[in-house]
Amino acid sequence: MDRYVLKTQSLMKEYDGLIAVDDLNLEIKKGEVFGFLGPNGAGKTSAIKMMVGLLKPTSGQVLFNGKETGSAEKGIIGVCPQELVLWGSLTCKENLTFMGNMYGIPRSILKEKVNTLLEALALSDRANEEVSTLSGGMKRRLNVALSLVHDPVILFLDEPSAGLDPQSRLLLWDFIRSLRDKEGKTIVLTTHIMEEADALSDRIAIIDHGKLLLLDTPEGLKKTIGRGDIVEIQLADATVNKRVTTLIKSLEGVEEVKELRGRVTVRALNATSKLPQMIDLIESAKGRVLDVSIRGNTLEDVFIYLTGRDLRE
Amino acid sequence: MKFINITSKGIKETFRDRRGFTYLMTFPILFVVLFAFAFGNGFTPFFTRGSNPHEIAVVNHDKGETVFLDNVTQQRNFGNSFSRLLGNVTYENGYTNLFHLNNVSEDKANEMLKSRSIDALIIIPENFSGASASMINSSVRTEITSTVGAQVMGNTIAGQNPTPNTLAANNPLSEVGNVTAALIIKGDTGYMDFGTTQAAITELLEHYKNNVIGEATAGTSARVGVLKNPIPGDFISAETLSISGTQSFSLFDYMVPGLIVLGILLQVSIIACSLTHEVETGTLNRLKISKMRSFDLLLGTFISWSLITIIQVLVLIIVAIALGYKWQGGIGSLWLATVIGIIAAMASISLALLIAAFVTNERQAGSLSAMVAAPMAFLAGAFIPLPKEAICQFNGRTYQIYDILPWTHAVSALRSVLTYGSGLDGDVIFEVRFLIILVSILFVVGVVAFSRVRLRAER
Repeated sequence: MDRYVLKTQSLMKEYDGLIAVDDLNLEIKKGEVFGFLGPNGAGKTSAIKMMVGLLKPTSGQVLFNGKETGSAEKGIIGVCPQELVLWGSLTCKENLTFMGNMYGIPRSILKEKVNTLLEALALSDRANEEVSTLSGGMKRRLNVALSLVHDPVILFLDEPSAGLDPQSRLLLWDFIRSLRDKEGKTIVLTTHIMEEADALSDRIAIIDHGKLLLLDTPEGLKKTIGRGDIVEIQLADATVNKRVTTLIKSLEGVEEVKELRGRVTVRALNATSKLPQMIDLIESAKGRVLDVSIRGNTLEDVFIYLTGRDLRE
Repeated sequence: MKFINITSKGIKETFRDRRGFTYLMTFPILFVVLFAFAFGNGFTPFFTRGSNPHEIAVVNHDKGETVFLDNVTQQRNFGNSFSRLLGNVTYENGYTNLFHLNNVSEDKANEMLKSRSIDALIIIPENFSGASASMINSSVRTEITSTVGAQVMGNTIAGQNPTPNTLAANNPLSEVGNVTAALIIKGDTGYMDFGTTQAAITELLEHYKNNVIGEATAGTSARVGVLKNPIPGDFISAETLSISGTQSFSLFDYMVPGLIVLGILLQVSIIACSLTHEVETGTLNRLKISKMRSFDLLLGTFISWSLITIIQVLVLIIVAIALGYKWQGGIGSLWLATVIGIIAAMASISLALLIAAFVTNERQAGSLSAMVAAPMAFLAGAFIPLPKEAICQFNGRTYQIYDILPWTHAVSALRSVLTYGSGLDGDVIFEVRFLIILVSILFVVGVVAFSRVRLRAER
């Protein structure tokens, strides 16, 4: 049996000459959380819409368990869109029951499933209240629950924790992990929160301009792209940033130097030991240090390195 | 000064939604055009404008009569000549006929009255010629006797023999007779066009009687040398006969069936907005990913709105009854009206599907629906009957341009049922059949358009 639940083969989407998705080849394993990252307009939404069958590809195909989307059984896919897609005048329970009925789930099973989901997402006490009266966080959790009511094999979560408070976010992360670990579900996760992608994903694909840039585990990505630690230096006079950047580049063991958000960002092996040399170079360039911080390489650094821009541009 | 920002935002949103803005602007223009069509002189160019003929049917039962006219005994059918007069008389402009005669049977004419295809039915009684003869004889006798009497009086005053001269001998007097006849003008007394048609025919009848007498006495007057102004007497009269059940009907009673259809048509806007809301909020996409079939969505939509229609029709009738609405046919009529309403609602749902297939947001759905539904109600005759615009004749029935709209048949069927107490037969069955055919066509068009545009994967 195929170990991949979903495959895209040379997937392409073109809108009036603009290529949104360009020759995308992905293989998503059964039971993994697959992070799907990319800046705004990178082609993530178009790619996901094609994967779930809402958008026709210009060319290429999507295979579920080896079958094309068109012939795949609809019940195996669950989609939690970024927008809150709920029926506001129905209660939480009515929303879930309605969607369950749309998937033809037997009444006895559905009732239990609805209660389980409400319990797991801390919505039981608001089960019989109209959705329009719920808080934003509750609506978002219900949005996730609606995509799971039919017990799908593969779940697409698009920005599931956008707008959630830290407590709700942690609750949702635990829930996503339990879906993978206890229920063996495959999850395709799109997020702009790098911490979330790092914490939940088994593998991450980064796309930009419709093309797949890199696909690996979070650790693998961090190793591939960025050895060493990150030093961020804020100078009193930002006009010398460029000169300082050029000077620090010449230091041995420095992998990369960039000016990002008004700061000089240095990636270097054994960065702490190189800090005095960096300060000397700044002073020689008549610069004055306002703030310095040293941290480990993150997924966001990888992302920025690959896409060349901040995630939230 | 936040209100200025809010105003600015509102204006930008309205103007940037070009389609919505176009619908918004077109809506009042459309109404001006429709009202000009209904209450003005139609779409006739201004230099050819004139009045429209009144639609009538004439049923002539007149058997004819032998009369003595111009010293000749002759067989005359005054009913025929009155019918010809109705067909030939024109407005003052001299080229537009006052009446348009529909050559149909009495039964058919009665059906046409109920559907307001004609304004009035004129029934000429079988003794119309008999009464005309009595009227002529009476007038001639009056003419001659008054003239002879004047001569006798003149001779007496002159001291001559008061015996009448040869005038009386040369002008034999027919028996006057006592035959009277009533010309029946039948119609819906609550209908404005009937009132004007009835007044015109009554006036024309008086004119006709004077002409007949004038013709009959002309020869006599010429011979006796005296021209009088003969009076027709009370031999022929005009009587108004209301269609069964409409005697005490008001304009409101007539309009209630139209208002039911208006309510059903206004659903177009609500249904189109609700379907567009599903598209806009993404819930339709959620449903598309599920195992729901297009059939489920469309049937579910149809059933839910049909139920709402039942409630709407019943509430509307209850409110109308509370306000003094009089309908015919008892509870059976109300149920039949509800069934017709449900069929008409299917047309509204279909139209809403069609609109929802092509608009991009709720605002456009609302504007376009209003722009389409309100004129539809108007053209279906929900408010007032519109000028006759025949496009063809088939199987003895004239088809108006409005007949292509399902709601026209819903209005007609509802009027027949509620206003005239008709059952599911005759004209009602025809209207319902026509309604079902048109609804089926519109439903297929609506379902295909919505399914292709909204329920398939985007391209």
